[in-house]
Amino acid sequence: MNLLDIRNLSIELISENKNILAVDKVSLIMKEGEVRGLVGESGSGKSLLAQAIVGVLNDKWKVHADRFHWRGVDLLRLSIAERKALISRDIAMIFQEPMACLDPTTTIKNQLAEAIDTSSLTGFFWQKQRQRNEAAIKLLHKVGIKKHNACLNSYPHQLTDALCQRVMIAIALARRPILLIADEPTAAMENTNQGQIFRLLASLNQLKNMSILLISHDLENITHWTHKITVMYSGQFVEAGTTEQIFKNPLHPYTKALVDSSPSANIELPAKSRLMALPGTIPILQHLPIGCRLGPRCPRAQQACVQAPTITSFHDHKVSCHYPLIPTKAKRKAIKEVC
Amino acid sequence: MTELLKVEELSKSYQQKGFWFKKKVTIALEPISFSIEAHKTLAIIGDTGSGKSTLAKLLVGAEPASSGHIYLNGKKLHDSSYKERCQHIRMIFQDSGTTLNPSLTILQLLDEPLKLNTTFNEKKRQELIRVTLQQVGLLGDHMNFYPHMFSGGQKQRISLARAIILQPQVIILDEALAALDPSLRSQMINLLLDLQQQMGLAYILISHNLGIIRHFSDEVLVLSHGKVVESGKTMEVMNKPQHKVTQRLLMNQNFQLRSRTVK
Repeated sequence: MNLLDIRNLSIELISENKNILAVDKVSLIMKEGEVRGLVGESGSGKSLLAQAIVGVLNDKWKVHADRFHWRGVDLLRLSIAERKALISRDIAMIFQEPMACLDPTTTIKNQLAEAIDTSSLTGFFWQKQRQRNEAAIKLLHKVGIKKHNACLNSYPHQLTDALCQRVMIAIALARRPILLIADEPTAAMENTNQGQIFRLLASLNQLKNMSILLISHDLENITHWTHKITVMYSGQFVEAGTTEQIFKNPLHPYTKALVDSSPSANIELPAKSRLMALPGTIPILQHLPIGCRLGPRCPRAQQACVQAPTITSFHDHKVSCHYPLIPTKAKRKAIKEVC
Repeated sequence: MTELLKVEELSKSYQQKGFWFKKKVTIALEPISFSIEAHKTLAIIGDTGSGKSTLAKLLVGAEPASSGHIYLNGKKLHDSSYKERCQHIRMIFQDSGTTLNPSLTILQLLDEPLKLNTTFNEKKRQELIRVTLQQVGLLGDHMNFYPHMFSGGQKQRISLARAIILQPQVIILDEALAALDPSLRSQMINLLLDLQQQMGLAYILISHNLGIIRHFSDEVLVLSHGKVVESGKTMEVMNKPQHKVTQRLLMNQNFQLRSRTVK
């Protein structure tokens, strides 16, 4: 069964004169036990999408979708209280800049204890405090912190970035979520620490069968860890497929540009040669182009691109483009041989 | 080719104030020597606290060095020679948005270094600003705009314009590419490479994206806890890392590369 099934989700920003469509008909399907990457440059609406899933957008935003199912339950039909109960039981989220997300005025111990569900504690009221502490220590062990006492008694500013992120993951794990949404968990982190966090997430995925939605702005950073990738650009759906498909055989000109523009993805590239780059900059929300939003920057744009393209599927490899880069027979054969 | 910038035994240590018997000395950077030629790029990599940014600060003269000498074109730079330094060694920072004064137009921003360092009249200065803006891929008319009217990538171009407007010889890029989106980043790399060809600039690139370093730099310097643990030609170091620190750094980024080439 699909864990999360979103079809044609749109998010509108309500403003005085005209509503701005920040996310335009994005579809996302997640299966159980899957690590899915959600890739897009700044302003592509990936964080908005995550916030819409968790349901923390305020009144300024209007969300509507053709389908918005969480394990078969239509989230948009539930009342706010019911939805909150369901989401808080099943979904957890971690953010970028863990240092800023933790409460600086209290110790890690209190923050962890707060996240532990009281109903999971069995025992008389005088035993509960001890049980809560034990549960907190267990959580820290789960995320690979061995010196639990030192960590529990310190304040967030006394810990490093990577440790703070581990604590955040521990808090997220407290209610044993089915889906973990990681919104750029390693932004502004050193490489060594990035590797640690990703490895932790991967082991949680394998051992606990926890699904992870990994949001990142950089394609090359997350490819090693994901099964499937969804690419977004400026609030529109671009391409979705397995990591292999996206990398070996990108169908959308934007995905191709992303893959080509990363120097570490092209080892054969001679040093100091020019990199492939799209002209222009990412459009701002107030001046979005009509139709396909990549249009003005796209090397393959033609007249039809003033209309938004529909999603076409090639062997479960979905792309939203009028002129996808379908490989010729000879090239397909070459790709097969490489594989 | 002659050396453009030469650094000999440069080091930095901080002294914490206290009584004489409680005095504590923290060494941020142990003596380091290297040299760089025109048209070349030197990359510096290392973990946090390894002294990368300290080295950059010493080179531009934002902080006085504890010991050692810097030679530019064979001429020694003194601690107080700010004028020469800010003409020939310029720096670009990570977050370009916060380094541009929001209350000044681009014209005023770019005018400042010219006013302080050259004797050009107003007309000549405006002409130069126009040409420089075009050089970095913006329009000359952009000079009347304020920084908030530009996107992140354009702001980074403006800081690049501010760096090259005095015709420097060395530009230090302190994580200047890290905060940019991938498609803008490759635009920026292309621009930097073009400028290097045209003007014969030498870059000192501080970054932790090894893909960019491999593509961009000729030589690399690996720092760890203020010490140089490895240095040499980029290709040699990347292909055969000798030191433990370099190997660990490479391993953390090379997963995906290896897994994709093997398949």
